[in-house]
Amino acid sequence: MYRIGLDLGSSYTKGVLVNSKNEIIDYQLVKTGFDFKKASKKIIDKFSKNHKISYPVFTCGYGREQTEIPFIANSEIIALAKAVYNKYKKKCSVIDIGGQDTKFIKINKLGQIDKFKMNRKCAAGTGSFIEEIAFRLDVTALEFSNIGKEATEKIKINSYCTVFAVSEIIGRIKQGTSLPNLILGIYHSIIDRCIELSPIEDYLIITGGIPDNHPIIIDIFKEKFVNSDSPEKSQFLAAYGCVLLNI
Amino acid sequence: MNQEKNAIIKLQSTSQLRTTMGDYFNRLKNAAETGHKKIAWCTSVGPAELLYSMGFEVYFPENHGAMLGVGKNADTYIPTAVAQGYSPDICSYLTTDIGAFLQNETPLQKMGFKSIPKPDVLVYNTNQCREVGDWFSFYARHFNVPILGINTPLCINNLTKSIVNNVSSQFKELIPELEKIATQRFDIDKFKEAISLSHEGCVLWRKVLETAQNKPSPINFFDAAIHMGPIVVMRGTQYAVDYYNILLAELKDRITNGISAVPNEKFRIFWEGMPLWYKLSGMAKLFAKLDTCIVASTYCNSWIFDDLDPDDPFESSALAYCKLFIVRADEIKEKVLKNMIRNFSIDGIIYHESKTCNRNSNNLYGLQNRLYEKTKVPYLEINGDLNDPRCFSEEQSVIAIETFISQLSSHAMQ
Repeated sequence: MYRIGLDLGSSYTKGVLVNSKNEIIDYQLVKTGFDFKKASKKIIDKFSKNHKISYPVFTCGYGREQTEIPFIANSEIIALAKAVYNKYKKKCSVIDIGGQDTKFIKINKLGQIDKFKMNRKCAAGTGSFIEEIAFRLDVTALEFSNIGKEATEKIKINSYCTVFAVSEIIGRIKQGTSLPNLILGIYHSIIDRCIELSPIEDYLIITGGIPDNHPIIIDIFKEKFVNSDSPEKSQFLAAYGCVLLNI
Repeated sequence: MNQEKNAIIKLQSTSQLRTTMGDYFNRLKNAAETGHKKIAWCTSVGPAELLYSMGFEVYFPENHGAMLGVGKNADTYIPTAVAQGYSPDICSYLTTDIGAFLQNETPLQKMGFKSIPKPDVLVYNTNQCREVGDWFSFYARHFNVPILGINTPLCINNLTKSIVNNVSSQFKELIPELEKIATQRFDIDKFKEAISLSHEGCVLWRKVLETAQNKPSPINFFDAAIHMGPIVVMRGTQYAVDYYNILLAELKDRITNGISAVPNEKFRIFWEGMPLWYKLSGMAKLFAKLDTCIVASTYCNSWIFDDLDPDDPFESSALAYCKLFIVRADEIKEKVLKNMIRNFSIDGIIYHESKTCNRNSNNLYGLQNRLYEKTKVPYLEINGDLNDPRCFSEEQSVIAIETFISQLSSHAMQ
């Protein structure tokens, strides 16, 4: 029997299939769109095609109670902390950058959460910030990341809000600032907003769909924090943590 | 499936509360319709006792602001005030109230009022914030009526004799101005009587809130935020005293019979900052589902003026109204919070950072970290607003609160 962990996020729904040894044997990612139930069903259907599934499934995220299949809902913050501690087994801090929010989690040596914080009600510092700016610049997220790699210097983006940032970027382009340098500035701006959530004193783990898809973010974090890591497929950690929480 | 367990046991005194508040509004309506009594508007921690002692009916715009908030329509009124030049970043009581007035809407219309009661005089105290002066000034200009104010220094650390003397003098200076408007002259004995009643009401209110020190607590923050009505608007009258005697008796009875506000109280939380007026019921259910009782808050405690002394009415009024939590420096606030954490056996603190009320958001200057270092009581910060629902992300806050309670639970199991 296999168990399913689902993280029903605002942008994407992430699913993991876990075997009896508590190992992930498959990953699925679908766009959430406006229908959490449809998104979760898609993933469950894919997993159940070749595997016998044990129910209930274990969920977290904004749509954690939006599935028609029997479920046990969890907090994605606790699930993520569980999965991170399971992997690193030490005191650490986590910065998770998702489509809609950014989280800071401080995990103690016993694996308990000592403190956590989420971004203020503002898109700056989240995936939406990149999405909006990429959309306005008419480039895809992947192109956005690739263009950023060509930067020769970091430009400071002063604006605090997404709309003002777009205006500022367009103004800078008019003045002749190179797009790669501006994009690097945008990445730094996101990281600055993450860092201000809390002092980072421990080993830092960077997770979430945004770092997974924009590895330049991980590189910048690693430059700033020598003692840091970002596991592969980190956006699936919360889904995995849901299963681990219910062993 | 997750089991729903959000049952909340209502206080039986609620029906008496409705009667007491209904009678208060009827007295105001009668004064507005007949003119047989003058109407003073007063800030919620303004000199209510003085006004009642001089025969005014007293109307409190902040109470009205909260009623508009509870009605969940603040976001339809605020834009009207914003269009008049009031920033959406300033007090949303102010913007909701002025916006509703400009739209000629008030929940008082359901009680038979044509509009909010026209003031004969507006009296404020800046002990809570400067916005109250700006708020009342709008109505003073609109109705062309006198506006009087007590200007209390903010962020008081050492509450010196000179501060108390200064504020006491300002109380006294109101009298000749009020006498020009009131139907009766100032009478020191009536003032002393009002101070005495206010003191009695405040002591009863304190005792009501202190019943929450019992484990489990017979009352929670959401009850208190509703049942505080009489101490806000009838402070200095027998009505408030009568009501809190009834409420206190019920709470004592609950303690005797082991009835708790939250059926299965496991965690005890301190709520720091303003209520989310538009989410009171939803939040009450959420915390009940989490077996969590919000047992104390500085907000509800703000109406405990137990320094009032009828033998020294002016000095004691000045002292009591300067001791108010919101007007104190962070050093004092920290001590107050530390004591409350101990007295109410607090497991965790939730700081509500209210977008339009910096003065009542106490996580803006690092106090939350300093207090944590001293007490090791975990805390959570949530972003929202007292009245403007657009500043509150329910999804994000619910996740944060659920996670916070799980955090407390995992530490408790250690």
